[in-house]
Formats: sequence, C-alpha cells, structure tokens
Amino acid sequence: MKRPTFPSGTAGATRALCLLAVLTTVGLLPWLSGRDPALTVLRARSAEQEPTEEALDAVRQDLGLDAGPLSLLGKWASDLARGDLGTSWVSGTDVLPSVASGLQVSLALMGVAFGVAVLLACALVAPVLVRGRGSAGAWAAMLAALPEFLLATVALLVCGVWLGWLPTSGWQGPLYMVLPALALGVPAGGLLGRLVADALPAVLDERWVELWRGAGVSRGSVSAAALKRVLPPLVPQFGMVAVGLTGGAVAVETVFAVPGIGRTALGAAKSQDLPLLQGAVLALLLLGLVTGAAAALVRRRLLGPALRDSGLSLPPARPVRAHPVIPLALFTVLAVTIGWGLLRDPYALDTTARLAAPSWSHPLGTDGLGRDVLARLGHGAAPTVGTAAAVCLLSLLVALTLGFLPGVAAGAADIANALPPVIVGILVAAVAGPGTGGAALAVALISWPPLAAHAAALVQEVRASAFLTAQRAIGASPWWILTRHVLPSVAAPVARHALLRLPGIALALASLGFLGLGAQPPAPEWGLLLDESRAYVERAPWAALAPAVALALLAGLAVSGAAYAQGRRTTRRVTKKEALVAA
Amino acid sequence: MPLLDVRDLVVRYGPLTAVDHVSFTLRAGETLALNGPSGCGKSSTALAVLVLRRPDAGEVRFEGRELTTLTEGELRPLRPLMQPVFQDPYGSLSPRHRIRDAVAEPLKVQGRWSAGAGPARVAELLDRVGLDPSYGDRYPHELSGGQCQRAGIARALASEPRLLVLDEPVSALDPSVRAGVLNLLADLRDELGLGYLFICHDRAVVRHFADRVLEMRAGRISAS
Repeated sequence: MKRPTFPSGTAGATRALCLLAVLTTVGLLPWLSGRDPALTVLRARSAEQEPTEEALDAVRQDLGLDAGPLSLLGKWASDLARGDLGTSWVSGTDVLPSVASGLQVSLALMGVAFGVAVLLACALVAPVLVRGRGSAGAWAAMLAALPEFLLATVALLVCGVWLGWLPTSGWQGPLYMVLPALALGVPAGGLLGRLVADALPAVLDERWVELWRGAGVSRGSVSAAALKRVLPPLVPQFGMVAVGLTGGAVAVETVFAVPGIGRTALGAAKSQDLPLLQGAVLALLLLGLVTGAAAALVRRRLLGPALRDSGLSLPPARPVRAHPVIPLALFTVLAVTIGWGLLRDPYALDTTARLAAPSWSHPLGTDGLGRDVLARLGHGAAPTVGTAAAVCLLSLLVALTLGFLPGVAAGAADIANALPPVIVGILVAAVAGPGTGGAALAVALISWPPLAAHAAALVQEVRASAFLTAQRAIGASPWWILTRHVLPSVAAPVARHALLRLPGIALALASLGFLGLGAQPPAPEWGLLLDESRAYVERAPWAALAPAVALALLAGLAVSGAAYAQGRRTTRRVTKKEALVAA
Repeated sequence: MPLLDVRDLVVRYGPLTAVDHVSFTLRAGETLALNGPSGCGKSSTALAVLVLRRPDAGEVRFEGRELTTLTEGELRPLRPLMQPVFQDPYGSLSPRHRIRDAVAEPLKVQGRWSAGAGPARVAELLDRVGLDPSYGDRYPHELSGGQCQRAGIARALASEPRLLVLDEPVSALDPSVRAGVLNLLADLRDELGLGYLFICHDRAVVRHFADRVLEMRAGRISAS
C-alpha cells in the first residue's frame, strides 16, 4: 500500500470547481427554486391584471423560465459578462443600481466596523505586549463568540431604546453608523485580538527576544518586532474575519434597517425576487473573494519574496483553557432553565397576561401573545439541540470521509470558509424555502471544514506512524487496518471536537432563525424568540432579555468548550514526547 | 538454499537513490548486520526487503520465492514469515491497544486465534520475552522502553516468523537495558533458528552479536 500522493494542483482544482458550483447554483436559482414565480411577478407588476393562463405564459416567456436550465444559465452568464444583472421581478427596475447602492452602504459600514475591530484588537493585545506574557484569550474569545445578531439586538435595546443616545434605524449620517459598526466590529475585533494575543506569548518566548533584550534593545522595538513576526501567518485568518463581516452585515443591517447589500439579499430571498438575490449574493461573494485575495497580497508584502509559503510559521500557541467549572456552570444553568421550561406549555395563550413582567406564574414573563417565555425557551432548546446534533453528525461524517482526501478537502474548505453561514442560508432558503431543514443544510454545508482539517491531520499522523507499517507486516488487510487502527484513532478525537462545536452550530442555527430563514412561527426557536420580541422591546424588555441571555450563555459554552478541543490535542502530544524522553 | 537472497536492490526517492544495487544473502540461524551512518539507506533496505516499500529494481527472494513481483494480496499470507522490529519501541505499538491485544493481533489477523488457546499463547509469548503476563493489561506508555521493545518482539514472534528484520532495535534504549534485549534476541535465534537482518549504526553493538557485518555508505555496500 503506497501512501497516496496528491498532485499539488488538487486543492486549486477543487477550489475552482467549488467556486464554479456556487456560481452555477446562483445562476440556476430561478430554476432550482422550482416554484412558479410567474404569479408573483404578475401580481407585482400589475395588480389589476387577471392571472389568466396567457398572461402567466407571457411572463414565463419573458423571464425565460420555460427554456430549461442550460439556456437559463447561459443567458445569465452572458448577461453577466456584459454587466447586465437583469431586472428585479418585484420592482421591475434594473438590479445593478440597487446592488451598487447597497454595496456602497455596506462597504462604508464594514470599513468603519473593521476600524472598530482593529481598535478593539489593539486594546486586547496591548496588555500582553506590555507585560511581555500572559494572554487576553478568555475575554477576547468571549467577545469573538458573541453572534452579531445578538450584539446588535442588545445594543439596540440598551443604547438606542433605554438610554436613547443614538439613532437605531436608518442610514442618514455618521451617527447612524455607530451602533451597527459596533455590533459588527466587536466580535471581529475579539477574534482578531484573540488570534494575535494567543500567538504572542509563544513568539515572546523565542530566543531572539531574550537576545535582543540582553543587547539593550528598547522595549518598544522588541514589541514592534514581535508584532511583525506574529502578523504574516495570521493575515489569511484576518481575511476570513473580513469575510465573516459580510455575513454579519446581513444580521446587523436587518436589525438597524441599514439599506446595505446584506439586507437587500435577505429581502430579495424572502420576496422570491431572484434576479435581485442573484446580484446581491454575487456582490457578497465577490467582496469575500476580493478580501481573501487582498489578505494574500498583504501577507506576501509583509513576508517579502524570500519567505513565501511555509517559510515562516508560528510556534504553536498554548491554548488558554477556561477552568472546567466555567463550561460546567454554563451548561448547568442552561440545562436547568431548559428542563424547567420543558415542563410548561409553550403554546398556551394567556390573553389576560400579555407582556407580563416576571412573576411566580410566569418566571420569565410572557410574550406579545401571552405565551410563557420560560416554556418557549425550554421547548425551543430541544429542537435546536436536536437539529444541531444532526448537523454535527452530518459534518462529522463528511469530515471523516474527506479527511482521507486532504487535497480535495483543502480546496473545498477554502470555498466553504469564504461563505458565511448566513449567505449559504439565504441561498438554501431561496431554493428550498425557509425552514428548519434548509437552515440545517446551510449550517452543515459550512461547519465541516474545521473538522475535516482535524481529521486530515490525524489521518496523516496515523498513516505515517510505525505501528501502521507493523500492521501490514503481520499480513493485516487494508480493511482491518482501516477499521481497527485508522478510524478509531481518528474518529474519537474528531467526534469529541464535533461535540464541542455543538453550541456554535446551535448559535448559527439561531442566527438563521432570527433572520427568518430557519424555523417558522409559532415554533419556539431561540433566534426566532429574539426576533419576535424585538417588536415590543420597549414595553417588555424581559421577553427579549431571556433569549438574549440564553444565547450569550450558549456562546460562552461554545468558546469554553472549543478551547478544550484544542487543549486535549496539545496535551496528548506533550505526554507522548515526555514518555519518549523518560524512556 | 539461503533464507533470504537480495540482488541488485534499488530504492529511489524522487531524484535521490537511497539504495543503490545492494546484494546479500542470509542463511537460516545466521545474523547479518548492516552497519552504516544515518541516511546511508539501511532502513530503506529493511523496508524494501520486507516489501513494505516496493523496491524500484532488484530481487528479494525469500526461501527461494521472488517477492517483488507478487501482488499485495499474494504477499499477505507470506508476510508473517518475515517480521520487523522497529527502533522506536513506543511508535511500533498502537498507543490505543493493551499489550495483550497487540500481541494477540497477529494471531487474530492470521486466523490462528481461539478463545481457549489464544490467551494462553499470548501469556506464553510474553513469558518467552521476559515479561510477566500481568504486563498484558497495560498500555505501551505504561511500560519502560526496554519492556516495550520486548513486547514488540513478542508480537513479532506471534507471527511465527523465520526472519526478523531488526531496524536498530536497541538504539533508542538505555545502555543498561540494551544488553538484556540483545541477550534475549541471541537466545531466540539459537532456540528458534531464526535468521536476523540487523540494522545498526554502531559497530560495537553487533561485534559479538553478528556472524557477518556489511558496511553501508551512501546507498552502497562498501565492505564486508
């Protein structure tokens, strides 16, 4: 059994194929969605016209829907090449100007948000640089785990509604930018700060730092050199943070009614205005790809021509692990709340107690229809956790399969990483209609890459180990080796990793629910609960606060759990090395 | 008929020729040492002799049978007859399996396991390499390097081999433990009539142990 070798082009080829698949999906949206949009279009164009068969046929012919998928795709591609994005089905206007104006607004918002993110990252990293060691990990990780839609809702609630400091809706001046930019920039800043702060201590432990200090080089110069040393390997991840901004923009723009490209895409998906959706998604994809390319360019400039590829890698960061009590406590609080809520009826309407404050009969108050918030929280958790578990299992299976094909996995993971879950959710919802199944599929489509990367690394490690050669030497068949040795060494750690990602996946599902792309009312889904409570947030803040706090706890669980996934791997490697030394 | 007859063995890694037309023979009960500095192609020769890595040219005849032209399926029933013992005592046993299971595995793979006789055979093998059968319950990382290497030898013996390819079996061990493992190997050779291909980089280790020593330099046999 020769070890499989992959031509270096495999990753590139899969990358191109995946991109082509995404573009084809976008191009074929009208055909894929399968529903007859003729009636929608006819209604939108002229309300008084009778929906006769002839009129509908005329619309179909006009849209080119009866021509079949291939010619539809061909027409879309050739129009696209001429810079024509088509005509909106709903408003009948050209798509290009709407996309361009939306893009303009979003770029301004993302620019300011990126500024916020960089400032926050600097604030998180500065203490580590000053002290020369330590880490900002826990705080930064917590900020990074907060989903934008939650932060946006809380910011709207606190700064906009209660304190009344800042405008909360629209896009009429710099003041309107503050809250959206904060909601979008804080998680990104937390992530950036965490990446740098986690990598810095290991760099500051490198020998040259000691040498420079001994030679009397000033603190500032050492800090600057350490930063310069840390940044190049992290720049690709910075590119991914920027890509994440495009996904976060959808939620933030929706909450603050900012007329950006994300809100345009979401609105188009909900109203089945497919040409507008195609244009908007294309613009978002382009934005992601351009940022990725820009990140690669910056990295190349920082490194210089000599150290292009793996020339400068970072020493492995020592993961910051929260005390095991923290995830356990978070889990217990969530479990008790959910368990208590499950004993109550989430659909019982108590019209006499609408928007009631917390009391003994309704411990977390009631919502706009008089339904018990605690009950809805509890009953919302069960399907969310169930769906998240199914998604986890699916991505685990994909990861284990692709782990044996590292070349294919790398290319596909690149594209999956460039697509924020929200955008995939919009695409899936446009094809299949909004629903729990569609949301689960969307999250599954993008949640496998980190697991596949982990699996691929483990497969490589196991395949290279001497004990596997020893298996062949005793005459074991490839099936025996696969099932008794390779799979057990790979499946258990990757499954543990998948389990620890469960809260994160649940959050992604909740964010789709919040945007109306997931579970539909009256289902008590957490994201949906938060979305519904926004309507009466001034009168009944607790109805919004309960799901918001629950989601924040989930985020805390996600981040403290994920630290464990990394921690375990490192500990195992160390003990192995120690064992060899001791021998 | 020699036990092992290697002729004009060539192993290449890309443009690099690691093993360059190496030939030697080995009789049953004989120990042939292949001595040389790191990177001279000793371990590549070992893997090619075991056909765990297919040589790029040359013949490997085991008991008169040419191995390099056989398919993987045809090789599988022959593989137990020639067993490797590797340098890294921990790396050659799966960290996830108890010693008992590691020693039992060849019996199971080769269809010689039975609920009655199997465990007894494992205990006997452990005893034969000087390990108390209670060590069977342990995992590799719970053993010392020398104990682990003994377990590796027990596992190799479970296949009832006629040739052992020992790839620096004592290099990773503490000097005080080396003599014990070498004595065990010598006893086994005399008792079972095994042929040894002994790879090493320190002539002093094999001076008393090997019948013949081949010096290897840059992929070629330079002296014998």
